Amino acid sequence: MATAHERTIERFKKRTVWFHWINTVAFVTLLVTGMFLFLPGLGIVAQDSITRVIHRVAAVIFVLGPIVYFFTNPKMSLHFIKETLTWGKDDFQWMKAAPDYHFSGDENKMPPQGHVNTGQKMWQGVVIGTFILFVATGTVMWFFKGEVSSGVFQWCLVIHDLAFIAGFAMLLVHIYLGAIHPRMERIFSFHAGWEDIRTLCQGPLRQMVR
Amino acid sequence: MAKAILFDATKCTACRGCQVACKQWNELKAEETTNRGTCENPPDLSPDTWLKIKFAEVSKNGNGAIDWLFTRRSCMHCTEAACVTVCPSGALSHHKLGYVDYNKDKCTGCGYCVEACPFKVPKTDGGNLTGIRKASKCLFCRDRVTNGLQPACVTTCPTAALQFDERNKLVTLGRDRVEKIRSTYPKANLYGEKELDGLHVMYVLPYSPEVHGLPVDPKVQTATEARDLLKWVGVGAVAAVVAVAGLNFLVARARMIQASKERGES
Repeated sequence: MATAHERTIERFKKRTVWFHWINTVAFVTLLVTGMFLFLPGLGIVAQDSITRVIHRVAAVIFVLGPIVYFFTNPKMSLHFIKETLTWGKDDFQWMKAAPDYHFSGDENKMPPQGHVNTGQKMWQGVVIGTFILFVATGTVMWFFKGEVSSGVFQWCLVIHDLAFIAGFAMLLVHIYLGAIHPRMERIFSFHAGWEDIRTLCQGPLRQMVR
Repeated sequence: MAKAILFDATKCTACRGCQVACKQWNELKAEETTNRGTCENPPDLSPDTWLKIKFAEVSKNGNGAIDWLFTRRSCMHCTEAACVTVCPSGALSHHKLGYVDYNKDKCTGCGYCVEACPFKVPKTDGGNLTGIRKASKCLFCRDRVTNGLQPACVTTCPTAALQFDERNKLVTLGRDRVEKIRSTYPKANLYGEKELDGLHVMYVLPYSPEVHGLPVDPKVQTATEARDLLKWVGVGAVAAVVAVAGLNFLVARARMIQASKERGES
């Protein structure tokens, strides 16, 4: 509930939120169907190629999403990349202060942050980096199997796996810090209502500002 | 007791009865091919050809005489089998008789075995676009050998270039044969005795393996091994993140509750 000193601001455009969730669905689908070929115990689910077909359909959405978004919102997309790559002394101070803050230390020790904080920037970096790795190696394994040498194919697979491990581990961190961490007071605050869940799904589209 | 097949290249006449017997027993289609200017046919293994005889010509002593070499090409049933390592669904596995078993129903069509095999044996049907496909390879005539019969290819060999027996016995037999032909072929060798921890298809070769189109020192590729390790790196990384996040949640929550109590809030 907003008090007299708080107001809500729009942090992301509605289309950006849509893009975020379409991309999420595609990525999680890729993650789950990919896992069947990664963890030996789960391999049996992938038999008869069905999950591999789903993986390919999701891959198309995963690649087309950012391309469509980029060409319909070039300014915002370039800003996203610039924002991710621009680092200053506040970012390094954030990294110093972050562990204590996330163990519920003093909030006032945190340096000032821009539209996204340093941690979010790092996550954006992981998203961009793993996206490039996934798409490059995935393209080779999908369209050039049999044409590239077995060594090239298998190293592509290794890189694809590494991107998967990094992407999955960091996705868990993203979900944890965005929705579960006690400071967020959202899902696990025990008095979360539909309003909180809607706010969460919006990215957060609006955020309380003091 | 491990079973094996011993192929003696010096006895093979390339009648290719084994190729036909393999197709007959396993009910594999004949393939329509075009003349490529060689008697060797079909050009390679395929989902419908699990065994073929490969032809090669090698200069005998530098005076124009040639040796016409016939080399069996099929699954080598490795002990250290890269295909078994990479197979995500357990479709490929080691049978207690030593051979590499394959359950086609379990195949996911990923094609990793095709890339990992040092002998380029498994072949997949179906296209790359959808990726719907199944791998195929020699099954060691498991329905025959587990019922006291010889593999189909062995039964038909008229010159006993193919033999089926206990692996130990065939190693001795192979070594003896190599000794015998050394006077004619100084580079004669028994291929598969030690390669990849021992193959369950061994070859008596008159020339060094590469002349026969075989890798001299077949190895499981580094990328194959790296990927096998990555499974555990992945599980470890995710477990670490979950553990740290869980610990963080408990500590942060406790401290927040304490702080709010200190502020006198309920």
